[in-house]
Amino acid sequence: MAGGGGSAESGEPEFQVAPMIDVLLVILVFFMMITSAQVLKVDQTIKLPVAKHGEKKPEDVSEGYINVAWIGGKKVVKFEDSKNPIKPEDLIPILRARVAKDKKYRVVIRASREMPAGQVSELMDICGQAGLSDVSFAAINRD
Amino acid sequence: MKLPVDDSTNLGFQIAPMIDVVFVIMLFFMVMAGAVKTERELLTTLPGTAESSTGDLPDEQIISISESGEVLLNDEPIDSPTSSDLPQLVGALSRLKQSSDNAHSTMLVTIASDENAKYSRAVDVLDACAAAHVSNVTFTVSEVE
Repeated sequence: MAGGGGSAESGEPEFQVAPMIDVLLVILVFFMMITSAQVLKVDQTIKLPVAKHGEKKPEDVSEGYINVAWIGGKKVVKFEDSKNPIKPEDLIPILRARVAKDKKYRVVIRASREMPAGQVSELMDICGQAGLSDVSFAAINRD
Repeated sequence: MKLPVDDSTNLGFQIAPMIDVVFVIMLFFMVMAGAVKTERELLTTLPGTAESSTGDLPDEQIISISESGEVLLNDEPIDSPTSSDLPQLVGALSRLKQSSDNAHSTMLVTIASDENAKYSRAVDVLDACAAAHVSNVTFTVSEVE
């Protein structure tokens, strides 16, 4: 860290750039940490339902995400970070392979709040066919 | 190239504006901390996979959700269809959980939703179960006849 400013000759403290940059970098790192930890990494087309008493996401668990948007009265399913929609039936072999690797593998369904419950149930059936029993629903803590 | 220095210009470090900036940033974080949206999870088990830990028959409660959003606990209507907090359901589930714990049995809640009911209504009920600390929750959909 840079020391205190001021020239010995005048006795007047001068503007020091180094400590200012130090402070700005600390603030920048702080912002980066906050945004990566708190910003919702959810597809913007999905409007998650609100659940005040939901649990926090577990840290060290192997899990996959099924993102389900409800656009024009039809469901659009995407798996994890993929930008391309996938047919629900095509999820079965993918999930089955994940379960074979890790018996504790779990799935979180991120479904839009407007969709009918029957559509979500179909995805739960898919998870059941893939041998999964641990299925969670994603929600946000406030609207 | 050395720039000419004007002795009359005061470039000294000013602590007051620095503190101003720090306070504004602190205020920003204090205000934003309460408004941050975080993702939560509502845990369920798939139908047919829930098990009783004691080996006895589980104490099963059935919550039905109609297409209009009406919630029924064991076929008895509870709370208004527009209430998202479902306070009566939370209270009833808490009492049932307490009596199950006293009887050393496992309480199992099955949510049977109409397939055309809104998913958000099912999440309201799941949230009520979470508020009542009920952990064995199964979600199914009853097909329209």
